[in-house]
Amino acid sequence: MNVFIEAVGFGIAAGVVVALGAVGFTVQFGISNVLNITYGALMTLAAYLGYALLGLGLGVWEALAVAAAAIALASVAFNRLLIAPLVRRGTGFVGVVIVTVAAGIIIQYCIVAIAGPDTVSYGQQAGSTVRGAGFVFTTTQLIIIAVTVVAMVALHLLLTRTQLGRAMRATSANPVVARSCGIRTERIIDLTWLISGALCGAAGVALAITTVSFDFTIGPTFLIYMIAAAVLGGIGQPYGAMIGGLVVGVGTQVAAAYSSPAYQDVYAFGLLIAMLLIRPRGLLAAGTASARRLAG
Amino acid sequence: MRSGQLLNPTAAQRKARPAAVRPRITRRGLAAATAAALLLALAACGSAGTGSGGSGSGTINVGVIGPMTGPAAEIGSLMSGACYAAVLDVNHAGGVMGRKVGCALVDDTGDPADAVPNVTRALATTSNLSMAVGLESNTAATTIPLVNNAHIPMVSTNGLVAYDKTRDTYFWRMTPSDDQNGAAFVAWAQKKGYKRVAVVFQNNIGAQGNEPGVVAAVKKIGGTMTTNITIPGDASSYSSVVARVIAGKPQALILAGDPQTSATFLSQYRNLNGGTVPPVITSTDSITPAYFSAVKKVMGSAYMTHSMFFVGSYVSPTSHAFSVYKSAVYSAKQIKDPATILGVGVIASIYDGINLMGLAMQMAHSTSGPTYNADIEKIATGTPGAVVVDTYAAGLAALKAGKQIHYVGVGGPIHFNAYHNSPGSFSASGFDASGNPVQLGVIPGTQVQQLLS
Repeated sequence: MNVFIEAVGFGIAAGVVVALGAVGFTVQFGISNVLNITYGALMTLAAYLGYALLGLGLGVWEALAVAAAAIALASVAFNRLLIAPLVRRGTGFVGVVIVTVAAGIIIQYCIVAIAGPDTVSYGQQAGSTVRGAGFVFTTTQLIIIAVTVVAMVALHLLLTRTQLGRAMRATSANPVVARSCGIRTERIIDLTWLISGALCGAAGVALAITTVSFDFTIGPTFLIYMIAAAVLGGIGQPYGAMIGGLVVGVGTQVAAAYSSPAYQDVYAFGLLIAMLLIRPRGLLAAGTASARRLAG
Repeated sequence: MRSGQLLNPTAAQRKARPAAVRPRITRRGLAAATAAALLLALAACGSAGTGSGGSGSGTINVGVIGPMTGPAAEIGSLMSGACYAAVLDVNHAGGVMGRKVGCALVDDTGDPADAVPNVTRALATTSNLSMAVGLESNTAATTIPLVNNAHIPMVSTNGLVAYDKTRDTYFWRMTPSDDQNGAAFVAWAQKKGYKRVAVVFQNNIGAQGNEPGVVAAVKKIGGTMTTNITIPGDASSYSSVVARVIAGKPQALILAGDPQTSATFLSQYRNLNGGTVPPVITSTDSITPAYFSAVKKVMGSAYMTHSMFFVGSYVSPTSHAFSVYKSAVYSAKQIKDPATILGVGVIASIYDGINLMGLAMQMAHSTSGPTYNADIEKIATGTPGAVVVDTYAAGLAALKAGKQIHYVGVGGPIHFNAYHNSPGSFSASGFDASGNPVQLGVIPGTQVQQLLS
């Protein structure tokens, strides 16, 4: 039982990072209807930006904040300069996806050209180890969990308690009708990319802190987990993505505790498939136009 | 082809997860192997027209086949460095049959799928490509058949157990296979007094190749394997695995993983074990600046210099051959990190291999693979009355004087078996505070073979 509780704790620590990124990914997709594969490369960019900021003497949490802000702005620029013009010119859904794949590869190559292919490290940022009720966390993991929870609550309040949130949900549900109701949907989409980018940047740095060392493939490698979490939770559902992230994290760690860790991903993704067979639209019902399109 | 020119510089950024020299074969590799078979004819045709026969004219090229770009580029850099050192010495001594020798870098990107077209193209277009070196584990399954079918003798650094009993005529290996390396890890653990070891290997082909040797050797010494776990590379968390390993209370970790995986694993071990981590025994494949940099940042300098042991092919730092090698490595202007090249024993076999093949060409008066291939073994094994030589220059002088020669190079005596393998002895090395390799001890090859018998 102790092993199980311990593994669940390890899974929560790993899963919140996935959740942080997955929420940004799913919110952006749900509202803008763009499956943004560049997200992984932007996470990598955030991780390296954090590395550079640490080198300049910033603390790791300051670096996380700055990287989140920078990637937020970069995401808006990415949408304004590349994605929005393509959409305006009638590029189809798949075409835009391919463009985001291509842009991600270009960003990745640029990172390698500047930072090199070797592994880099933030150094030991774990802090002290905290034990309680069978769980084992480091103080850094607890802070990342807290940051994720705060981000989720803030996002929840934004979406449910503010005029802006209602406008975002309206845009998500039907952009044409939203526009006819006087909602400036382009601004709403900009804001969505901003929020998504901030979460992407924060997730990139949080991931680099968690993995301790990383290279230029860190973002794309973890993007698959984030997409899995988003799909599991229900595309376009931020709370679903958070739960999905935790399921993926806990699933891999519990699997590693009881079986060959080499197959931990097999178990986690097997669980994901099983859950989707039971709930095809994800854990939380899919309600957005994008979600309906993807979830069938 | 100009000496040192980079062929096929495809910047492969796939995640082949390198740093360790004996990484993985992917599904793409299997597809590539099929493609390799289809391209063999082309390669053979191409090489036939590249001046590989007779004494000919122009620079004789050594194909350095390895990952020159991508995540495993550091390995390619080590390989090319050994080539540059060798050709410096060969050319300084007067070349092969009076002709200059150059290094033609062939980028296999560390990925079997990229390796096939790149190597095929190099074989078809590189003039006077008469010998090959490198061909490491990642891509060996696809590159070695191409080179072998082109009738070009090669000295490979791959660690694949499959090549322990190869029938490839032009294949030569002077370094141990991965299972022998695994047994050498245990031999070193035994020497240090560690009877309880935890075995943690990343799920790549190189590390997995070590595992059978480790298991057999632990059993042979009557030791205890507290855990034997395969882990995925580059996961964000190994906490559950680490907890299992800690529960076994090992005295040492036999850990094979790339820099990122190792750094993450060891860091989490320290967090969950009250700040302490047992010593690590791993392969000399990891004794690289990238590994030092990644792991030191999380484990600290004291751990790196006192608790990390890198086991691999032995080279004697006190031999005359090594001093000549060292001088060449430090003199070759293309080499940026001579200390690392000197610290990786496997890489010295490339230097020895070029000397050996060059002397064989000289002896056969031909750069044609089918003509000089048999002389490689004659020179390595030595015939009765042969003069023992430890450098290319000495060998060339003896051959010109009409003598038979027996080459004993940086890696010591070479004893090729029926399958063209000569595993040699092993050494354990560590890092100094600056990250330079330091040899700590020797493990006789016979001891390792006994552990596997």
